[in-house]
Amino acid sequence: MSVKETSSNWEPKILVFACNWCTYAGADLAGLSRLQYPPNIRILRVPCSGRVNPQFVLRAFQRGVDGVLVAGCHPGDCHYVTGNYFTRRRFLLMQRLLEYVGLDPERFQARWISGSEGPKFQEVVTKLTEDIKALGPNRKLRDAQ
Amino acid sequence: MKEITLQMQELARELLQKGEVNVVLGWEKGTFWYLSPPAFVDKPEDVERLVYDDYCHHNLSKYLMDYRYQEGKVAVFLKGCDSRAFNILLEDNQLEREKYVLIGIPCPGMKDQEKAKEFGVNGDIPLAKKCQECKYPNPLVYDYFLGDKKAADEAAATKEAKAKEYSDVEQMEKMTSDEKYDFWSSQYERCIRCYACRNVCPACNCRECIFDQSRTGWIGKANNASENQFFALTRAMHVAGRCIECGECERACPMHIPIMLLNKKLIKDINELFGEYDAGVKVDGVLPLGHFDKNDPEEFM
Ligand code: SF4
Ligand code: SF4
Ligand code: SF4
Repeated sequence: MSVKETSSNWEPKILVFACNWCTYAGADLAGLSRLQYPPNIRILRVPCSGRVNPQFVLRAFQRGVDGVLVAGCHPGDCHYVTGNYFTRRRFLLMQRLLEYVGLDPERFQARWISGSEGPKFQEVVTKLTEDIKALGPNRKLRDAQ
Repeated sequence: MKEITLQMQELARELLQKGEVNVVLGWEKGTFWYLSPPAFVDKPEDVERLVYDDYCHHNLSKYLMDYRYQEGKVAVFLKGCDSRAFNILLEDNQLEREKYVLIGIPCPGMKDQEKAKEFGVNGDIPLAKKCQECKYPNPLVYDYFLGDKKAADEAAATKEAKAKEYSDVEQMEKMTSDEKYDFWSSQYERCIRCYACRNVCPACNCRECIFDQSRTGWIGKANNASENQFFALTRAMHVAGRCIECGECERACPMHIPIMLLNKKLIKDINELFGEYDAGVKVDGVLPLGHFDKNDPEEFM
């Protein structure tokens, strides 16, 4: 976030971890279908939602994002068969832990979005951006605030 | 406990004299009456140093990691929580069972060292918090058992019947998000990142901890609330499902940070989300975050 940013022109920055096989394709489809969604998201492609470890999420908040979304294939559809089942356990726990240390729970989300769900991708990131806009900038866990 | 101390010394002498083990890990009296640090006894004539009293907090299983590439056997005394730590180290493939002679001892609970310091030798010193809540005071794995097994089992049964205690976690959960954040930031602002909590922890048994990997820069050198919380939350997630509630991290912390309040939150949630589970009780290769169930709760649709 730029130091010049003021509260009047603040726009949330949202990091989306998208799995290569489903959600990234879903985002691609949203684009190809000319579906409009807020430009606040930054997509980071990962091989599998199971690749996202707790450190990635924490580091994102440290470095100034206002929200994080981890998205991957629906359970049962993982390219690596079971990766997303581990993701589900890990982030069910982590979401509660982040809430426990005072982060607004809306700021960390996980979703299943398949390669054919372009409209769902649009819907999820639009909703997330709206929610985070309503919350305002995240100062918690920020490094060098 | 006097009697157990004598039995300990006797067995240690025997094992060393016969040459069955090279070293015996136990506890000895420290600088102050409320300290009983680990003792490493390798000569039969030194066994008199060994004690078992109200302050044998140190979890000795973690020290076995130092012997895993050495020739010969090692004997170690295990309380209930130490035996769960041994199991976790077995589970994580850090130790070979055959290399260690395990001497189980029932644990009546250890006394709070901080309170002891405060109240003095004649004061009425309460048990440490983790011991008040302990579900498994008796060793779960052993080759020898010292003391009266039957009496120890009966004492343990009454403890096990007691429901898990999470009132401190629940109280924390009730706070607003800003209150929680202020609480944890003020705690971790004090952390000096000495990593004592990690070094003492049996679940922290990685060959190279991510916090030591300076080139990848997982953690910054700056000591501030953000970096320190990154450390705390990452470590909490790493030991989730493997933390055996020995409370050693919190005891070792020189800054008195309530680390168990994080660990217990994760234990509570693991129990709620994925079913009843106590780490280090069984060695069956099934860890809460190392496997899954297709019917796990679904909140991410
Ligand atoms: S022992 Fe305490 S002060 Fe040291 S790193 Fe751990 S939490 Fe921080
Ligand atoms: S996190 Fe603390 S209580 Fe849990 S196993 Fe490690 S030292 Fe023991
Ligand atoms: S903090 Fe994590 S990486 Fe470091 S020793 Fe513990 S479990 Fe391993």
